[in-house]
Amino acid sequence: MANRRGYDSGLVDLNAGRISREIFVNEEIYREELERLFARAWLFVGHERQIPNPGDFFVSGMGEEAVILCRDRAGKVHVFLNSCRHRGMKVCRYDEGNTPVFTCPYHGWSYRTDGKLVGVPYFREAYHEQLDKSQWGLVEVAQLCLYKGTVWATWDPAAPPFLEYLGDFVRYFDLSLDGWDGSEGGTEILFGVQKWLIPCNWKFPAENFCGDSYHNISHRSVDLVGIGPSGSGRRDMQERLMARRLQISFYDRGHQTGVYLFPKDQPMPPSYQHSPLVAEYFAYCEEERRKRRGEWARVIGSPGEIFPNTALHPRQPRTIAVWHPRGVHQTEVWRWYFVDTAAPAEVKNFLRDYYIRYSGPAGMTEQDDMENWNYAHAASRGTIARRYPYSYEQGLGFETERYEWQGLHIPGTVMDITEAKSSEHNLRNLYRRWAEFMEAESWDDLATWRVARAAE
Amino acid sequence: MSEPVNIRLLGPGTRVALVDGATAEIVSNPLDGVWVFARYLSSPDDPARVGSEEMIFAQDIVEIQGGT
Repeated sequence: MANRRGYDSGLVDLNAGRISREIFVNEEIYREELERLFARAWLFVGHERQIPNPGDFFVSGMGEEAVILCRDRAGKVHVFLNSCRHRGMKVCRYDEGNTPVFTCPYHGWSYRTDGKLVGVPYFREAYHEQLDKSQWGLVEVAQLCLYKGTVWATWDPAAPPFLEYLGDFVRYFDLSLDGWDGSEGGTEILFGVQKWLIPCNWKFPAENFCGDSYHNISHRSVDLVGIGPSGSGRRDMQERLMARRLQISFYDRGHQTGVYLFPKDQPMPPSYQHSPLVAEYFAYCEEERRKRRGEWARVIGSPGEIFPNTALHPRQPRTIAVWHPRGVHQTEVWRWYFVDTAAPAEVKNFLRDYYIRYSGPAGMTEQDDMENWNYAHAASRGTIARRYPYSYEQGLGFETERYEWQGLHIPGTVMDITEAKSSEHNLRNLYRRWAEFMEAESWDDLATWRVARAAE
Repeated sequence: MSEPVNIRLLGPGTRVALVDGATAEIVSNPLDGVWVFARYLSSPDDPARVGSEEMIFAQDIVEIQGGT
């Protein structure tokens, strides 16, 4: 790349395991992120279940910008910039609903749910019917992808298709979207989306959800309270006693996750012991999952992140979060909650209660996390503080390219932390990709797997 | 000058008079307070519009003539 900006050798030094605080608190770097990351990457916009009928809409966000996720009269899904082409006013100021048109309240330009401009006040009188309405429709994303109910979009026409963007990571993403019984895309969202602001840079929560297990001590008080679905801890954690605990990174894509890898032919420990009905449901699902998925059923999901700002929490609780940047010093968190579509109402209700105890602005575990992120950010903004980099040295150099255990190969670059307890392997991967995006001039520089494939 | 019409109250079937002397019948109302969908019943300036359905701007509606 011709125009190196020093992100890798200066601000992000992965050889030494050091990252400058500037990338979290510097306004100029933040403005560049909006252009180089958020205008080029695939971003999570919402779920099809939020817009089941023609005319349904849900106002979401991509980077700092508001977008409208909607289903037009013909049933096609669109994502538009929520900004009138005339003077930029938001054409939709509701969070969600159903409408035949999006009308700008400023001068009255009106758009159909397929984005076409259909209403222009004084079209005959003031424009003499000469305004070419076909040129002034709502701005639509360059690419859109519906995957197992989730809706993804990018502004960059040169970005690879979403499934290519994911690569083999899709197998881990599926752990969030398939039913517990292994059924393809067998999940739905529990309405509605929780949204709240936190005073920290978006990368604090992003790196936390890459698989930072080092901060478990922060949740000690929650574990002592015992909010978990079996009445102790914050989750059912018996798997730790028998499974391999892995951190998995995809170097060329920037996605990463943790997983628990179960030993061959071992029964799953009992879970959800607080409710016999719920426990029975998950025991049934586990049997079905093993029949459907075979050896892959040994892989149990743990927190992960789809680059750049979509967090996966695939098991307990089962959620997807987006870290919307709202300035360098602020993040708006949106969290969607998932349950099995086929689960009985009692199970969904049980999970709703548990999810809310755990996650969201009032969730006990998430409150612990926010306390850390917010104060870490505040304590990193100062003139003196910025001079000192953060340490990301944990486990540096102990990764494995071709990890296999008891006959199951695990895709990705793996760090086995069963004995080590913790690693910053996945966190480094987030910043590796971040630096690549900040340096690259185009997707030609970013889709390195295409070059590797062509060379084979 | 006539009182402004609150077009959010106009349901399907309502007949309205327009500023250019045309009349129209409301077909549907998106309730955005800015537009209604209506079918032209008469149009002295442009008789070809009669029977066609268009979006009518709130400020072009000068009077409610009847209907539901």
